[in-house]
Amino acid sequence: MSKFGNYINGYFSGLESLLIGLRTSVRVYFRKPVTEQYPENRHTTLHIAERHRAMLVMPHDENNQHHCVACGLCQMACPNDTIKVTSETVEGEDGKKRKVLVKYEYDLGACMFCELCVNACPHDAIRFSNDFENAVYQRDKLVLKLNHEGSSVVKK
Amino acid sequence: MDIKDKISTLVPGVEFKEQGDLIAVIPAASFHRAAEALRYDKEDAMDYLRDIVGMDWGETLGALYYLESTTTHARIVLRTETADRENPLLPSVSDLWKTAVIKEREAFDFFGIRFTGNPDMRRIFLREDWVGHPFRKDYDEKSNELNMNNEVNADVTTEYTLKADGTLTTEKHVVFEPDDFVVNVGPQHPSTHGALRLRVALDGETVKRVDPVCGYIHRGIEKMNESLTYPQTLALTDRLDYLSAHQSRHALCMCIEQAAGIEISERAKYIRTIMDELQRIDSHLLFYSCLVLDMGGFTPFFYGFREREMILQIMEETTGGRLIQNYNMIGGVQADLHPDFQKKVKEFIKHMRGIIHEYHEIFTGNVIVTTRLKGVGVLSKEDAISFGATGGTGRASGWANDVRKHHPYGLYDKVDFKEIVYTEGDSFARYMVRMDEIMESMKIIEQLIDNIPEGEYRVKTKPIIRIPEGNYSTSVESSRGEFAVFLESHGDKTPYRLHYRSTGLPLVHALDTACRGQKIADLIAIGASMDFVIPDIDR
Amino acid sequence: MNTSFLDYYSIQPVTSWIHEALCSVMPEALAIFIECVVIGVVIVALYAVLAIILIYMERKVCAAFQCRIGPNRVGGKGGLLQVPADVLKILTKEIIRLKNSDHLLYDLAPYLVILASILSFSCLPWNKGAHILDMNIGILFVLAASSIGVVGILLAGWASNNKYTMIGAVRSGAMIISYELSLGIIVLSMVVLSETASISGIVESQANGWNLFKGHAIAILAFVVYLIAGNAEANRGPFDLAEAEQELTAGYHTEYSGLHFGFFYLAEYLNLFITAGFASTLFLGGWMPLHVAGLDGFNAVMDYIPGVVWFFGKTFFVVWLLMWIKWTFIRLRIDQVLVFEWKYLMPTSLLILILMVVLKVFGLVF
Repeated sequence: MSKFGNYINGYFSGLESLLIGLRTSVRVYFRKPVTEQYPENRHTTLHIAERHRAMLVMPHDENNQHHCVACGLCQMACPNDTIKVTSETVEGEDGKKRKVLVKYEYDLGACMFCELCVNACPHDAIRFSNDFENAVYQRDKLVLKLNHEGSSVVKK
Repeated sequence: MDIKDKISTLVPGVEFKEQGDLIAVIPAASFHRAAEALRYDKEDAMDYLRDIVGMDWGETLGALYYLESTTTHARIVLRTETADRENPLLPSVSDLWKTAVIKEREAFDFFGIRFTGNPDMRRIFLREDWVGHPFRKDYDEKSNELNMNNEVNADVTTEYTLKADGTLTTEKHVVFEPDDFVVNVGPQHPSTHGALRLRVALDGETVKRVDPVCGYIHRGIEKMNESLTYPQTLALTDRLDYLSAHQSRHALCMCIEQAAGIEISERAKYIRTIMDELQRIDSHLLFYSCLVLDMGGFTPFFYGFREREMILQIMEETTGGRLIQNYNMIGGVQADLHPDFQKKVKEFIKHMRGIIHEYHEIFTGNVIVTTRLKGVGVLSKEDAISFGATGGTGRASGWANDVRKHHPYGLYDKVDFKEIVYTEGDSFARYMVRMDEIMESMKIIEQLIDNIPEGEYRVKTKPIIRIPEGNYSTSVESSRGEFAVFLESHGDKTPYRLHYRSTGLPLVHALDTACRGQKIADLIAIGASMDFVIPDIDR
Repeated sequence: MNTSFLDYYSIQPVTSWIHEALCSVMPEALAIFIECVVIGVVIVALYAVLAIILIYMERKVCAAFQCRIGPNRVGGKGGLLQVPADVLKILTKEIIRLKNSDHLLYDLAPYLVILASILSFSCLPWNKGAHILDMNIGILFVLAASSIGVVGILLAGWASNNKYTMIGAVRSGAMIISYELSLGIIVLSMVVLSETASISGIVESQANGWNLFKGHAIAILAFVVYLIAGNAEANRGPFDLAEAEQELTAGYHTEYSGLHFGFFYLAEYLNLFITAGFASTLFLGGWMPLHVAGLDGFNAVMDYIPGVVWFFGKTFFVVWLLMWIKWTFIRLRIDQVLVFEWKYLMPTSLLILILMVVLKVFGLVF
């Protein structure tokens, strides 16, 4: 094709491509927006996946009892030293000495949600919860104590 | 001829190690000659240098060179070392493979090995005034205080040459002349996709030279790995290339499983392959968005995010994460597929096939786009191989380098898909490779999604995993190139050295070649079309 | 043709009455001075209010193009107070003084830009009898006045002593000067069609039909070329390479903060409005109502809508067209911008001018 033919051809094919683009964008213009409005949608359309890992929790039952035997496997599994298990050895009623959990400290600010602690736990004493609104103003508030006050381990 | 015999004839008395990968130990004196012979071998030229892994073996410092042939896809590892820990010198292979220039800089930065003949022996990730070389086993971690001063970048690089009589001479190379108009693009810049810094010498609007300055988010992940147990190292792979989280982790899991002799179930393989492909679509959609945004189009940017959101929702249902998914585990995957997974994936593919024409209408066919991308930033096939620019960038230059095809893993040998190869090597080809790969990935998923076999998603492993002594490596096709894991174990529960092949580092290195003579607006578009992710470069 | 409808909403009698009333209590010179001050205040106030409306409109329109909602929190459900809040914020920001900048020029630049913008803004024909600046070469005055803006942009880029701003300013200079040619030629072709260069004359010449329809397909083509060149003049996407966020962070105004930045921002939006305003003046009949030949009832209804409503309606429609373009296309590269102008747009506009003259000479227009 001649040079001038190319020029004319380029002129009109270019124009056509621009018009196609304009057509597409104006179609989207009249479509419904896809925006999700947080926090308004908290109780309506907000969907947090069940498996979403937001923070580590230690479930307690109605008797304020948990499953942690203070073995420290989670602490060892953690790559970030996020978990600190403090335990003491007490003598049980049957005369056997066993470790009892005193304090289960968890630093949310250092946690990278790798789930190794949950995998390591032999008693399913800890799990990840969905409560993701964890922003605070001071870093030390991110250090959480997971076992409730006065709680004890479930007797088998 | 067998590769072992070939090397034996080249270097008489060469020693081979065969725990894991086949390694040829070659003395430093004859290393360059051997490498050159392998590089230009007639029948099986090892023209692709996958990676150089600097090593500290206690008594000696050295490096492992992972080579591959682009014709037969045969692989070999070379090892060379020097016993001089005070002033370690090794011959550079930067004249054989261009990518060695930057990989040797990395080895110099971390191990202090100087490569004689490399024109650029600056540090790459750490500050230029850093004391010591942190990956050496005898490195004192307290030798560097937190430094809050500005780093002054050298405009001159040093090349070391070892003379025959054993004396070392230095030669200076100028990066930027004093009167060059040098513009900093980054680390704080709207279009560097993270904290990458490019020093760009301009002549008016035309780019004269690009010098990447890396390391702004270097976290020392490889160093951290040396003190983590194998399951713990997994958590960091998601933080390398965050858009290839599944794939990177897949590579590491495969490497550990292979080394520890763990056999995973068929179901886990299906799940892993599907997740890899979903991740690839996710990444390529983001690529589309970023390329468009970098070229000034805000509206198509949202199109990509609109569909990507659907993938993220699907992934979150199953893995519990959107970006950091944390899904692959040694022996399988963390959790079984969500019951809705198959249904939602099929819905998504249907939706995607119905809407992708909008992407092409508003962007691909547009005359502004084609004139801005076609013929711009051309990387020849030879350059792509020499730079080790894998993934879509290499395939756009005509280099068929898809690991899924040539070294199949997962279920890629069982599915039917096309390797997308273009030959133009320009930005438009790089863009089209990704757009076509979205379609191919959907094809792969469609073949697998209905046939996932029943079975356990994760086999039981020992609580403490030890890996027998040896060198192991696996590679996967991540969203933006060949991601490889190089593991050296000394039999402990922690790796002796665990190195990742960065997919982005060769791309950043190739930027200079691709951008010279182009306009500054093209620099941004070329960078976006190469699609690098900074955490993966800096590690 | 009956043109008496033009006088329905003319504010000429009101303004004359005010003038006479003032003259009766004070010397005429003082009266004129007071009138000038009042009109100046009105212009600046209108300028600011329009900027707020335009920014809000842009945010809502671009959101709709991008499957989003746009501002919707500040000030009720529609986010109506979002932009006023942003304006307040920008007023409270510090104006940062750079150590190595050329202080005088650095401070002067935003005023030049806004001055050029306000000068051309005052030439807009709002309504019958509501021209603030109206002279027999009015349209040429607008072209001249709007060119001052590029001086401001060049100064801003140079005085900031920053490499990004410098590149942005040079880009903008090269681009605006090129596109002014096309713009000027298209304006000339419309002057040919209307037989006058006075803005009020151009509007009134369209009483029996808008220029867009009078000049057949040529005028429609001219309209398109005008929109493209005008878009480039206003430094808006896809011709926003003077700012080019992804390349030059913010181009020529990278180093500006606070109210100085606000001036650039304001001028950008008002230039959009001015471009659209003159598009409606030149092609869509300014404040003239829409008349369809033969439908007298319809025409009579149209006449009852005040001219100022017509003017705003048409202008905002053109603004929407320009936003549609901006939010669809990606940015051009500097060499493409120049190639596009010199290889495609310039020849087209010259052709338009010639054809328009031919049409006019042979009396082929309506």
